[in-house]
Amino acid sequence: MFHVKRSYDNIVIGGGHAGLEASLASSRMGANTLLVTMDISAISRMSCNPAIGGLAKGHLVAEIDALGGEMARVIDKTGIQFRMLNRSRGRAVWSPRAQADKIKYSFEMRSRVENQDNLDILEDTVIKIITEKDRVVAILTQNHGEISCLSAIVTAGTFLNGLIHIGLEHKKGGRLDEESAVGITQSLNSVGIISGRLKTGTPPRIHFDSINIEHTTPQYGDAQPVPFSFQTKNFAPKNIPCYITHTNQVTHDILFSGLDRSPLYSGKIRGVGPRYCPSIEDKIVRFRNRSSHQIFLEPEWEGACQYYVNGFSTSLPIDIQRKGLRSIPGLEEAEIIKPGYAIEYDFFSSYQLKRTLETKTISGLYLAGQVNGTSGYEEAAALGLMAGINAVLKIHSEQPFILSRSDAYIGVLIDDLITKSPAEPYRMFTSSAEYRLLLRFDNADQRLSHYGQRYGLVPSEQFLKTRQKTDTIRTTIDFLRATTIGPAEINPTLHRCGENAVGSGLNLFKALCRPNIHLEDLLQFLPSSLSNVIVSIDGLVNLVEIDVKYHGYIKRQSIQIKSQARHENTLLSPDFDYLKINSITKEAREKLNQIKPETIGQASRISGVSPSDITALLILLKKQVVSRET
Amino acid sequence: MTNSDSLTIVAIATPRGYGGIALIRLSGPKALSIAKRLFVSNQNLSPRRAVFGNLIDDSGTIDTGVVTYFKAPSSYTGEDVVEISIHGNPYLCDLVISACKKLGAVSAGPGEFTQRAFLNGKMDLSQAEGVADITYSSSRAAQSASMDLLRGALGTEIKKIKAALINTITVLELELDFQEDEIDFISARDTLGAVSVIISTIDRLLKTYDWGKIIREGMRCPIIGAPNSGKSSLFNAFLQEERVIVSSLPGTTRDYIEETIRVDNYQIRLVDTAGLRNTNNEIESRGMQKTKSLMRDGNILLYVIDLSDPRETMPKLTPSELKKTCFILNKADIAKPAHLQNAIKLIGNRRYFICSALNHTGVREIATALITEIEKLSPENCPIIITRERHKDALFYTNLNLKRSVNSIRRGAAPEIISIDLREALGYLDVILGKTENDDILNNIFNNFCIGK
Repeated sequence: MFHVKRSYDNIVIGGGHAGLEASLASSRMGANTLLVTMDISAISRMSCNPAIGGLAKGHLVAEIDALGGEMARVIDKTGIQFRMLNRSRGRAVWSPRAQADKIKYSFEMRSRVENQDNLDILEDTVIKIITEKDRVVAILTQNHGEISCLSAIVTAGTFLNGLIHIGLEHKKGGRLDEESAVGITQSLNSVGIISGRLKTGTPPRIHFDSINIEHTTPQYGDAQPVPFSFQTKNFAPKNIPCYITHTNQVTHDILFSGLDRSPLYSGKIRGVGPRYCPSIEDKIVRFRNRSSHQIFLEPEWEGACQYYVNGFSTSLPIDIQRKGLRSIPGLEEAEIIKPGYAIEYDFFSSYQLKRTLETKTISGLYLAGQVNGTSGYEEAAALGLMAGINAVLKIHSEQPFILSRSDAYIGVLIDDLITKSPAEPYRMFTSSAEYRLLLRFDNADQRLSHYGQRYGLVPSEQFLKTRQKTDTIRTTIDFLRATTIGPAEINPTLHRCGENAVGSGLNLFKALCRPNIHLEDLLQFLPSSLSNVIVSIDGLVNLVEIDVKYHGYIKRQSIQIKSQARHENTLLSPDFDYLKINSITKEAREKLNQIKPETIGQASRISGVSPSDITALLILLKKQVVSRET
Repeated sequence: MTNSDSLTIVAIATPRGYGGIALIRLSGPKALSIAKRLFVSNQNLSPRRAVFGNLIDDSGTIDTGVVTYFKAPSSYTGEDVVEISIHGNPYLCDLVISACKKLGAVSAGPGEFTQRAFLNGKMDLSQAEGVADITYSSSRAAQSASMDLLRGALGTEIKKIKAALINTITVLELELDFQEDEIDFISARDTLGAVSVIISTIDRLLKTYDWGKIIREGMRCPIIGAPNSGKSSLFNAFLQEERVIVSSLPGTTRDYIEETIRVDNYQIRLVDTAGLRNTNNEIESRGMQKTKSLMRDGNILLYVIDLSDPRETMPKLTPSELKKTCFILNKADIAKPAHLQNAIKLIGNRRYFICSALNHTGVREIATALITEIEKLSPENCPIIITRERHKDALFYTNLNLKRSVNSIRRGAAPEIISIDLREALGYLDVILGKTENDDILNNIFNNFCIGK
């Protein structure tokens, strides 16, 4: 092993998805970084389902990739089934999902952190975060004493005072059979950081050999899988199936019979759980008239003996879990390896954070991942990456890295967290992104890789490729706009595509706007020097088509962004005493004073703050400027 | 500090109604260029100089007027401002404002001029508040009815519409954010149905605006027909039979004459127009264009047919014109029965009245019939009347976006595209409710200001 130093630039507490991205980004940007984890073998362990991506989450993974994060590349390398979701809908909401091999994923991630320069890993438990005059100065570990630092990023997931519930039994733990972390919450509370309790849950894991596969329907991935990372080449992953089955009335009756021993329904659990990811007992209670719910059996790794029963998250007693499972086709003889459970844990209300994820009150203290009240590996990784980058920027006295709502899903995620401070675990949805059409999975690299390159996290060579892509799209669209083809030449193509013929010339841009025309159909009218480049770049044809076919909508969204920009760039001082403003409502005063928004744009998104409150605020700002000038 | 910074706004700055002078104000970067295209004079517009000339639109001269240009920053708002004074007639004001809009201006939001003045440092907060107080108090009486409506019935109605729209959007978003197997989806047709219901509800509300306008400003009834069919005789007969409440507009340069008469409790604005005929004569065809535009704006068209003229042919009217046309079979005193039969055949059994404008027979009946027609326009089962242009505009744009979404749905567009239209529609409803969450904030500001100042 190595010798742990007494001092680091940046210390990351927690080796989950947030902690990994945070420590990799931090060390790669040149900060001397320490990652402290309670169990090295649990690095980037998937606590819940063995999958990465999914609707909106796939977008996050692509954005992490474009910023130089690791998640996309690791899942591309170790995933065992890849599917593009929402293919039946528009391209803006297409999102990839992969089945993960939990073991290989964790192993691969671990090797990356272990081989990273500038990054030390320490297996220990942090029991206190030490501050002096409202700034982080050190951490106190159980076995290695005090280690000083310029900044600390807390990425402790569900481990802070974690309490696991199965039936009416409960015990302390961060995951099943893993210790919880005690001390961090208390030390943060003592310096004024407010914490709360959230709840989440996971389903039972069952033995593959006990599944009657013939009673289920297999589901494979795409025949032509799409990787998450724009850096992945020669992508030929495994395609191992999941299995689909359904609950029935008998299952529901069994589960109902156990409700009296449910920690959720008996009032034992007080933490707030996610409504979008209900437990099976929640589903049968809330949707009483549904006689069946889908169950999705996912392998936890390649050749796994252990399968994850997606759709059956529960904290009912084990006997009810077993009996319920066995009423489901295919699971008649199911053997439980690990039972489902609910977990309550501490989180820190996210309004206490700046856009950089640094806490507003303690300088150098960053919070990222599930401790912010999010759920999901992807959300955690995105926050970890952003916290890691910003912690280093602050150490280097550089401008913070802020993504706006129109830049990225990550921007939406952070803005929602800090302005809305959700009371239930926050999951990314495409509907949260008002500029959804612009924030696509397929253009994440074009949107963000220049930032990745700026911070040295994306290789220049990769960045140049992205730039070539962007340039080619622009050149192609310019050419289409400038070129009109005579009827004799273009009508055969129109005819072949099932479009009406034209009497006079047809502009190529307009031609491509027609629903049945694709760029491939028009390549013949392009100079070969251009069309050769187009076909040589993966996915470029689609990117051009989206820009052309959606151009009206894209333009509308761009106008909205522009009109919003001024508010987003109007800064509010953190010292502003909102309670003294008489011209705004009491509710708004209190909310504003609690959240202390960083910009007018952010203030306007706080619920309870009305447009007229914002007006009053703007008037005051203006007045201050005027009085300063005179 | 508003998103419409770069936009040029226009609004009438004087109270709406008839009066000696009406002032229309333009503010923004395009104010001068719009004024230059709208205003013809032998003098140039130079800062702070009142210039006399003609205000013109596509169809010709609207009115004569005085135009003053204030160069930024020495103006009320601190931007380029143009003030246009014309005769105090709401109809002419509308023409000038719509001409400005055609040239790129947009309607000013409530208090937007003062808002801009404030933001450009032209006045401090107490001054701005002072403007609000003065303006607001002077028009409080006029506005109280509509303010009450917004707080009460109209507000409730819009909130209902908003709730329905949010429901529809929610369902659409669910479809995008959850996989097929996670949730039961509403079909595209259901979305279409839901949106269609909202559209027709809003359409009904929008119609009430027209009704409200008829009540306030009178029903516009252009008298049209071939030359010499007796339009002017009919016009004069009305004036002699009914009570004239406003005399001819002084100094109007339009080549039509308008008079307002009062029948029962309603105002009817009769317009004597140039005869309809096919012509190559440039001056006459310009007159025709004006008649056409009057016909477009008219609530009811009185189409005069000369019963004594065997050469009368079926008028060429568009379906929408035909829909609001009432035929007047004139010169009954000298017509032969065969002519009458012919004429009735000619107009294809549409509603008609027989009269003799010359000796006033049948004129009273037409007036009574017009009242019946006015009352037919009154919205049924719709206790709410939209009286503010701002509300009408917002509802109009809400519906425009909803109709776009219907097209998208029919075309089979992706749900995220449909959602863009629906969300934009929602934004316009917020404009009315004053609860714009996507913070177009400053436009909602100074909400207590009435349009113009």
